[in-house]
Amino acid sequence: MRKLGLGIVFYGAVALLVAIVLLPFLWMLLSSLKTQVDIVAWPPKFVFSPTVQNYYKVFEEQDFIRYFINSTVVAFFAVGVSLLLGLPAAYSIARFSQRRLALVILLARLMPGISFLMPWYIIFSRLGLMDTYVALVLSHVLIALPIVVWIMSSYFETIPIELEESAMVDGASRNYIFLKIILPLSGPGIITATTLAFIFSWNNFLFSQVLSMEKTRTLPIAVFNFLSYADIDWGGVMAASVTIMAPALILTMVFQRYVVSGLTMGAVKG
Amino acid sequence: MNQNSYTDSSIRWIYPLPAILFVALLMVFPVLYTTYISLTNWTLTSGAAPSFVGLNNYAQVLVEPRFLQALWRTMVFTVSAVAVEAVLGVAAALLLNRAFVGRSVVKLLLLLPLVATPVAVGIVFNLFYDPTIGLANYVLESLGLPPSSWISGAGTVLFSLVVVDVWQWTPMITLIVLAGLAALSDEPAEAARIDGASEWQIIRLITIPMVMPVIVTAVILRLIDALKTFDIIFAMTGGGPGYASETLNLIGYKYSFEYFRMGQAAVILVVLFLVVLACSVGITRLNKRTAA
Amino acid sequence: MRTTLKFGLALALGLGMSGGAMAQTKEIRVLLANHPYGDILKAAIPQFEQQSGIKVNVESLQESQLTTKLTTEFATNSSSVDVFMTRPLQDGKLFAKNKWYEPLTGYDFSDYPANTVSIVTYEGKPNIVPLVTEWQVLFYRKDLLAAAGIKVPTNFDELAAAAEKLNTGGVAGLASRGKGAAAVTQLSSYVYNFGGQYLDKGVAVFDTKEAVDGIRYYGKLVGSYGPRGVTSMSWENILPLFQAGRVAMWTDASVFYGQITDPAKTSLGADKVGIANFPAGPKAHSPFYATSWGIAMASQSKKKDLAKTFVDWATSKELAAKAMGANITMARTSVWEDPAVVAKVDPGLVETRAFVAKNGTPTDRPFMSAVGEARDLIGEIVLESINTKGASPQIDDMAKERVAKVNTLLRDTGEYGQ
Repeated sequence: MRKLGLGIVFYGAVALLVAIVLLPFLWMLLSSLKTQVDIVAWPPKFVFSPTVQNYYKVFEEQDFIRYFINSTVVAFFAVGVSLLLGLPAAYSIARFSQRRLALVILLARLMPGISFLMPWYIIFSRLGLMDTYVALVLSHVLIALPIVVWIMSSYFETIPIELEESAMVDGASRNYIFLKIILPLSGPGIITATTLAFIFSWNNFLFSQVLSMEKTRTLPIAVFNFLSYADIDWGGVMAASVTIMAPALILTMVFQRYVVSGLTMGAVKG
Repeated sequence: MNQNSYTDSSIRWIYPLPAILFVALLMVFPVLYTTYISLTNWTLTSGAAPSFVGLNNYAQVLVEPRFLQALWRTMVFTVSAVAVEAVLGVAAALLLNRAFVGRSVVKLLLLLPLVATPVAVGIVFNLFYDPTIGLANYVLESLGLPPSSWISGAGTVLFSLVVVDVWQWTPMITLIVLAGLAALSDEPAEAARIDGASEWQIIRLITIPMVMPVIVTAVILRLIDALKTFDIIFAMTGGGPGYASETLNLIGYKYSFEYFRMGQAAVILVVLFLVVLACSVGITRLNKRTAA
Repeated sequence: MRTTLKFGLALALGLGMSGGAMAQTKEIRVLLANHPYGDILKAAIPQFEQQSGIKVNVESLQESQLTTKLTTEFATNSSSVDVFMTRPLQDGKLFAKNKWYEPLTGYDFSDYPANTVSIVTYEGKPNIVPLVTEWQVLFYRKDLLAAAGIKVPTNFDELAAAAEKLNTGGVAGLASRGKGAAAVTQLSSYVYNFGGQYLDKGVAVFDTKEAVDGIRYYGKLVGSYGPRGVTSMSWENILPLFQAGRVAMWTDASVFYGQITDPAKTSLGADKVGIANFPAGPKAHSPFYATSWGIAMASQSKKKDLAKTFVDWATSKELAAKAMGANITMARTSVWEDPAVVAKVDPGLVETRAFVAKNGTPTDRPFMSAVGEARDLIGEIVLESINTKGASPQIDDMAKERVAKVNTLLRDTGEYGQ
């Protein structure tokens, strides 16, 4: 009997936890399906006739498809460049225990973005790089690179060194070992790093807010502008919020295992 | 020895070099440049060429009440958010650290706040907090409590923002501590149980001390991230009402990109940089100690 | 290795290509504000593109973001903007001093009131074509006032009494902007009617007894009878509340009249919404009557001919007449003299305009380069006043201290005493 009571308390606590986590998501989804009149109703309406009008507005009137493409392009190239730079660096850091080097790269993860943003802004505008993908991708690499290095150096350390030693005995070069032996074994690590780096680039607001303008505007900026555009169209803004969160949430659900290991490995946040 | 020996021995420099150069170019150089700007009287809007003014900007900004309040507010926000997150996060981890039906689903749900776009989270909470149409006041009224002005009130705004940060980042601590708990050996707890210790005693005297290094790491990582919080504050209040939620990040942004007082903005950025650097040094010290 | 190389090459190429701007000759970039007239322009641009063969890349921004973006681009010489909407009182001084406006020497300003042209003239050359004039009015709910047996307030005493009476649980008696800096323009008419001013001949004077009385009165009314959370509200927040029927009276710019009664956004019928002259104060009756928006060409534009064509079109009499039909109050004199056009404008707007045209004050904020910072500084006093319902003993000292700071700003830019 006591055990049953404890069970109820336990599941009650878990249910409360889940409810708190989910409530904002659910409220966002519900509100995105409401008309403006239903949203401003008091008391708040839990039952209403849903409309997809808000999503129509987001995609037809606000041009979100373009921002969606911009966000994808920037995140894709930022992650690509980060893997190119980060994988060899992470390998070297893991194999040669280069703690100092690791720290320098990880500093980029620890430092507040705003402290490099002002100089970037000055330099990029002098170089005529404002509102180009180049500037945005470069800035986003600074988000993605530390994630890649952090996760991959930990991952490479878990690959037994005996593999490399036996290959060396066979006369394989380091390049060969890295490219043909280590990388093929690193699939799970690379998936983890790629997923997280992509998500944190996707979610970044600050860099794009300053460095992008009309042509390269990414989704977070578009959502924010939508909020401050004219009188607040809550339904539309909520539909926009759903649109921007959906890819990261779906990616997380698909790669759940990898995301958990990546986040707990270093508690990564952009 | 084969012909690749040259590459082989130098690989420890060649492999990390591009990444290091990149970081030097995009991070180290900008920070030095910011420090230089902080010594000039540059304002973007004056059109005049900047001139070197030594530590004048520091003398002006560092005593400015608005700056000092922002510095203090940054500390209050960071410490209170992370303290709450640590307590709730560890409690949730202890709660979930057992086999039960639906555990994997709960763990998946915990991930969602961590990957949700912060700006959008801020916007959703804006609707939630709206004093006239928001759910928050509806809940208060349903409970028979007086409505609050939440992010519109100077006295409540910081608390309301802490709630958002807690909602979004507590799961991070929970997941890290869960991972730490999973790596623990069951033996000490089992031995204590046999000796007749209560569950609460086991948690307090055995489990928590054993997982403490993990908790400390998680908390310090959160401290640094909380110090950098920009998106939700910018999206939700823009630092307002008045300056009531203006943190160092916000005031740095405003001086740079709204007032265009580059010299003074650079002072704020240098201070912010130093604060975060100090915390980071703290981390490495602690990591060394726990590793030793 | 080969695949990695290919990938890297593709990356580099992709970046290079997507980074380069596509050059086309007959194309201009236009920045508009999220203002009803900006919306009219945006909707009409396809027609312009057809007539002229010029492709228009148009972007609409919230007003403060528009100022920030323009400043950023111009100050760093990185602008590709050709034409932009601009606020003469907000951007005017700074932009003109930095020569970011292309002087509009060839433009025919004869259809604009002389005082509006003088505000946009710098060193003898007009920089901006005035688009919209706005003035402070009182919006009110006819049905609620009638139900409470109140007649439309004509002075500050009546306004306070009416706000108190109309302030019931779900409905705010009187709304006006409470969000510090954003409130400064709406506060101006209160200050003027108490006999105060923000600046007098280039010197900050909002610490006089008259000005402080105005600030206290504003705080008392908005703090006591405003909607909950008013200190974070600008017009973007108050408008939906009014539309939702949660506000009985609202003092703000005349331009919102068309939107308040927009049937797509509100269930309130137009018959329930009234518009009246801003009430008289103890010392004066002179609400602001200002050129809120204009349009200008960028001096950094490389396509000034095309830009000029666009400006001529965007400021045409035809579009002005069309905008008047949507209750947007245009700056052109001739549209107000054309009975056919005026017939389509709400009579309330016509009447209140007739009043302010005679009695109004031509600015609604401190007219200076660092206006943004000055508004933040005055905004601090507004917040203190609203939070304490006008009673705070600190307001006088705050006003003195902020006046000193605004004077420093004026000195920094060489505008003090000018």
